[in-house]
Amino acid sequence: MSDDGFIETTDLTKVYKFGAVEVVALHGVTLSISRGHLVGVTGASGSGKSTLMNLLGGLDTPSSGSIRVAGRLISDLSKRELALYRRNMVGMIFQSFNLVNAYTALENVALPLLFAGVAKKERQRRAAELLHAVGLEAREGHRPTELSGGEQQRVAIARALVNQPQILLADEPTGNLDSKTSRQIVETLADLNRNRGLTVVMISHEQDLLREFAHVMIRLQDGAVADRKVLRQNP
Amino acid sequence: MRIADYIEQACGNLWKKKLRTFLTTSGVVIGIGALVCMFAFGQGVQRNVTEQFNKLDLFNYINVYARGGDRRREHSHDPDEEGGPPVGGTVADANAPRLDSRFLEEVQKIEGVEAAFPELRFPAQIRLGDKEQFALVQVLSAAICRPMPLRAGRCYEVNEPKGLIISESLLRRLSVNEPSEAIGRPIETATLTLDFSLATLWRMVTSRGDQALPIARESHRFVITGVAERMPFGGMGDAYIQPEAAAGMRKLSLTSIWDFFQPASATTNYPSITVKVRSPKDVAPVKKELESRGFRTWALVEQLDEMRIGFLIMDMVLIAVGMIGVTVASLGIVNTMVMSILERYREIGIMKAVGATDGDVQRIFLFESGAIGLLGGVFGLVLGWAVSAIINEVVNALMSRQAAPRMEYFSFPWWLCLGAIAFSILVSLAAGIFPTRRAARVDPVVALRHD
Repeated sequence: MSDDGFIETTDLTKVYKFGAVEVVALHGVTLSISRGHLVGVTGASGSGKSTLMNLLGGLDTPSSGSIRVAGRLISDLSKRELALYRRNMVGMIFQSFNLVNAYTALENVALPLLFAGVAKKERQRRAAELLHAVGLEAREGHRPTELSGGEQQRVAIARALVNQPQILLADEPTGNLDSKTSRQIVETLADLNRNRGLTVVMISHEQDLLREFAHVMIRLQDGAVADRKVLRQNP
Repeated sequence: MRIADYIEQACGNLWKKKLRTFLTTSGVVIGIGALVCMFAFGQGVQRNVTEQFNKLDLFNYINVYARGGDRRREHSHDPDEEGGPPVGGTVADANAPRLDSRFLEEVQKIEGVEAAFPELRFPAQIRLGDKEQFALVQVLSAAICRPMPLRAGRCYEVNEPKGLIISESLLRRLSVNEPSEAIGRPIETATLTLDFSLATLWRMVTSRGDQALPIARESHRFVITGVAERMPFGGMGDAYIQPEAAAGMRKLSLTSIWDFFQPASATTNYPSITVKVRSPKDVAPVKKELESRGFRTWALVEQLDEMRIGFLIMDMVLIAVGMIGVTVASLGIVNTMVMSILERYREIGIMKAVGATDGDVQRIFLFESGAIGLLGGVFGLVLGWAVSAIINEVVNALMSRQAAPRMEYFSFPWWLCLGAIAFSILVSLAAGIFPTRRAARVDPVVALRHD
């Protein structure tokens, strides 16, 4: 394993405040993820998995500690710089798909390109290409409510890839899917990791499925890294 | 994001919520329509007054008054003018410069003066055929009369001392509805004078109430040469005759209460004289010359600044009234945008998750409120124009019964049309600032969890 620290967190802490009450979601998380690895993150509910994912994806900022991606200090970026980081570096996939119901599958996939200032025709061309890649070319004009859970998640994967990111963050992408579809989705993400060299960080409760593909497994407990296992060496 | 994408997004989102967009835009349409109507009316009044003044060359006139015992002291602009009550016209000051026929001749020799005529009006009984009406007769020279717009006929010539121009409204009161029918018809003008002769007094005593006032009646025959469309000089006259014709008539001058107490022969001096100059730029030198000769003067052209302030105040009042609708409409926009943002809370989170900046999100919603403003502005302008046209037609229909000429009471200059649309967009954008800032500040983590 080439442990080059493509993604590095140092003493990462996130505290949420609800009035006078403070909830520590992450506490002193220090970890390093190599470029091109598929990292599985497991842990009980409330262990801080999603918080870690939001921090790595630049959706949230840490209370203390730092995040460095490709040598760049993400935790110090301004709101606008974080938006550009999300746009150009990261693709995110969520348990609840997070597709815009008012848009068609094609429009959902093309959405990140809209903010990147790509012309409409080019947006449509690239979105169609990705929908084809995930096997949904026949579903371009369908809205999310007309698609199955697996199809929606594949649309979400296509959307996450459309800006050609270097990191794919998947927050329980199989959480709302049956086991067969879950396997298909994980296999798709593993393919992307293998064939496109994407660094993938995936949260899942399905540890056995993750172990089949992950290079590294991280287990979080009470907001801290409880366990880190290297399963495979080469990306 | 590209501008075209903002526009497409805004239009697409508004189209998805057609009813709400329609209702919100309707509020703006009504607000802008009312504002446009009010403003167009203000502009119309301003334009009509200015045009009327220009058409009648009113900016080319100077009113001249004798200094001593002037009855129109309120028009004085002379800081040296002494106060005190009027004292019976020229009779009080024998040395004061007089406004008489000699002055009329002299004043026309001043450089820049085109004509001069006495400002003289008197009451008379006008008889046409078997109909008789009480009216005001104004003295107007042929030279001054010429630019006057006429419904029918022509202005009298200098060599037509018996020529008379009648107003269309008086003509209607005399039961003649077609102006051209009146041309060439004889008309009788009976003047009234105070007569304190012994014969009259004797008649008052012996008539046992049939003649209660010492008033004598004197008839003069004229021929109608023209029918006036609108009355110049504030529309004070119902009929016009030449100074030469008026000079030979015994009459009561309405410009002086003192004339009631003087025999007709004593009122040979005019209370005021109107001097017409060739162009407005001749007003100042002619005024100066007249003032140096001891007269007081007043010119409308010098009141332009005051008129402009008056128009400005009128516009402000009309705009203030119109702004009520716009304010209500802008609150509607705020409400719509807040609702839209609440409904699309999760969508905002998704947009941010895939790389939208706060600015992108704010601009998407600002374009939506701007689009409501654009639609509201365009259709508000159309509504304002349509309502103005209807009001204009109704008022003209009512006014035509009184023989008033047709007028456009509303004015829509190009800058008002563009300004209304621009203002509508600006107000809508301003109304959108608060909700769109809220949209921009949405925390994507919270929004993505939002159901």
